[in-house]
Amino acid sequence: MDIRSQIAMVFHLDKCIGCHTCSIACKNIWTDRKGAEYMWWNNVETKPGTGYPTKWEDQEIYKGGWEKNGDTVSLKGAGKFKGLKNIFHNPHLPVLDDYYEPWTYKYQDLFTAPEGNDQPTARPVSLVTGEHVDVQSGPNWDDDLGGSPDYARQDVNLDKLTAAEQEAMFQLERMTFFYLPRICNHCLNPACVASCPSGAIYKRGEDGIVLINQQRCRAWRMCVTACPYKKTYYNWHTGKSEKCVLCYPRLESGQAPACFHSCVGRIRYLGPLLYDADKIEQAAAAPEDQLVDAQMDIYLDPFDPEIIRQAKENGIADSTIEAAQRSPVWKFVKEWKLALPLHPEFRTLPNLFYVPALLPTMAKVNDGVYDSTGKSLWNGVESNRLPMRYLASLFSAGNTEKIVAVMKRLMAVRTHRRSVTVGDTSREEAAAALEEAGIDADTADAIFRLTSLATFDERFVIPAAHREESIEMLESTADVKGSTGFGFKERPQRGL
Amino acid sequence: MYINRKITRLSCILAGLLLGVAVPSVAQDGETIFKQNCAACHTVGKGRLVGPDLAGITSQRPEEWLIKWTRSSQTLIKSGDADAKAIFDEYNGLVMPDQNLPDADIKAIFAFVASKEAAAPAATSAPAEPATNASNHAMPEEIAQGRNIFVGSQRLINGGPSCISCHNISYKGIIPGGLLAKDLTTVYSRFGGDAGIQGILGAPPFPAMTEAYKNKPMTEKEIANLTAFFNKVDKDKAGQQVSAQNPLLYGGAAGFVVLILLYSLIWVKRKRFTVKRDIYLRQLKSI
Repeated sequence: MDIRSQIAMVFHLDKCIGCHTCSIACKNIWTDRKGAEYMWWNNVETKPGTGYPTKWEDQEIYKGGWEKNGDTVSLKGAGKFKGLKNIFHNPHLPVLDDYYEPWTYKYQDLFTAPEGNDQPTARPVSLVTGEHVDVQSGPNWDDDLGGSPDYARQDVNLDKLTAAEQEAMFQLERMTFFYLPRICNHCLNPACVASCPSGAIYKRGEDGIVLINQQRCRAWRMCVTACPYKKTYYNWHTGKSEKCVLCYPRLESGQAPACFHSCVGRIRYLGPLLYDADKIEQAAAAPEDQLVDAQMDIYLDPFDPEIIRQAKENGIADSTIEAAQRSPVWKFVKEWKLALPLHPEFRTLPNLFYVPALLPTMAKVNDGVYDSTGKSLWNGVESNRLPMRYLASLFSAGNTEKIVAVMKRLMAVRTHRRSVTVGDTSREEAAAALEEAGIDADTADAIFRLTSLATFDERFVIPAAHREESIEMLESTADVKGSTGFGFKERPQRGL
Repeated sequence: MYINRKITRLSCILAGLLLGVAVPSVAQDGETIFKQNCAACHTVGKGRLVGPDLAGITSQRPEEWLIKWTRSSQTLIKSGDADAKAIFDEYNGLVMPDQNLPDADIKAIFAFVASKEAAAPAATSAPAEPATNASNHAMPEEIAQGRNIFVGSQRLINGGPSCISCHNISYKGIIPGGLLAKDLTTVYSRFGGDAGIQGILGAPPFPAMTEAYKNKPMTEKEIANLTAFFNKVDKDKAGQQVSAQNPLLYGGAAGFVVLILLYSLIWVKRKRFTVKRDIYLRQLKSI
């Protein structure tokens, strides 16, 4: 057993209101630079929708992620031979138009336009060329034009549904959507790391954050192809690839990443998980319907004394183990089994888990009367607005049982809390729902607390980074004593 | 540190000033310039080499004409100067390379020529020395070495570029060479034998060639071998069946087509358009 620690995340989709505050927080800090304008390390997609970059989930187009290859996995579109074959021309790369051409407006024209009969206008100009552009699309046009045949109907996950199911989804009374915020998953089996010919991408040993060394990056862009989530981006100005850094400078100083910190819906949770690195290959190569379970088996119980002993032996700090015990991610993912990875079939073992959105209430039209379909909120999984198969395509590699179990648990918590606070459902009804979902009332209350009332420190459990230990691995601190610390890097204008 | 930096800056400025003053005042003497630029093809009073013997030239032609000719003989010929045309024809249309020298330098050259005439007035303009062409009796090994030097299979000792990178020779077994400079198939007779070839190779007067061999001169042995090779090529030329085809060019073109076909096969399933194309086109239609 090779126990390591990973900073993992949970996004609670029921709470996301799609305000894009996270995206803006990230953009302001990290990607408001020349060459990075088109990047959204954090983006919020509307589902059903095509996403950003368009149809990123379709690996027949982009060839990202891993393929099962016997007992192991191999990269779908990159790697030694495939990479070498395409090293000077990689046809699977997304082009700028697959993302969107970033633009701004010539606001100065509003002030400087000569007097005339018409109102002056601020025309859009490209942030790449500086020329006038006809804006074709933006990073979240699914949202702005949600449900249109151009976006919602072209959702890649709809391919898993029958034609009748697809039609039903787009009936006015059933029509629905939810938001899917996405950042880098800081995977356990990252395809970007495996694909890099320069060895510039690495997964940090202490917390599993995946980073691109900007000095070593040689712009081969194999990571852009390899990442099935399309979360590495090529900066055309610097000639280097970039990706979400999980705000590691903030994490190292005990702060939550900017997108987590700014989230107004408080949908985001962050905390460490202990895992067994020896099981990664086996889990990544599991049969498709067992992928979620195989990944869950990797994460280890931080309360088990044997696990704690081995973790300490492996150099994991006590503070990290303690944080893993308090981790909200451990609770959502392993204890309550409410959160699932996004597209586990890409076999990268992502460390960002989603609590799927509960969209139960449904309407129907009866003799011209618009009414809800059932007596209660919950009429069983079959009448969920989103077909289970659609959610399974997103979160469990097609395994609908997993989704049904999560949905039942979520609904049981809601039924239970309604019987406690509102009283419109009976105690018996609530108890039956809890029984069916396999949880007790205390657990349901705990889920409710962490979902709705959690404080900042409960949502973000950030272990001390112990940077001093990392530095001691690289150099003797005694050598630099006296040459760092207080003083001047540049000569002051006066004095001295 | 501060003071040091100031001193460095000051000395830089001073050095710049000195250089600025010094450059125009460097007076090259005519003899040096003549040896560097003219001696490959001309003598003063020692007979014809590639170009005419310059003895007596200063009294035959006005200085202005001489400067014009030296600067660019072709320009002078094209301007319709009959004398210039006559000289050009007399020397089988062998172009004298343009000498991009300042007026002062050209004047210095002719001053030197005039002084040389005065010192040794040979005044024999007609009978050129009978050429003693040693390369007529060259050993086959020498010719072979010359050939190797030409095609580049044997490197020049001082590291100069091999001839074939700029020149072409139509000769059996030699792949077509560069087209940047003159074809050298008949260079031996054009330049009038050993003396001409050796003069040019010893101190190349053509600007590009001067630059290429400035610090990498050919050795005498190399020059002798090359001369022997050029002599042989020139002699054999009559019996040569020069094919009009250029295998490198046609082969390259065919290879290019094959590669393009291969690549389009390898990437036949590539993504040709942006994924959004259909969406955008439909939206345009609906406007």
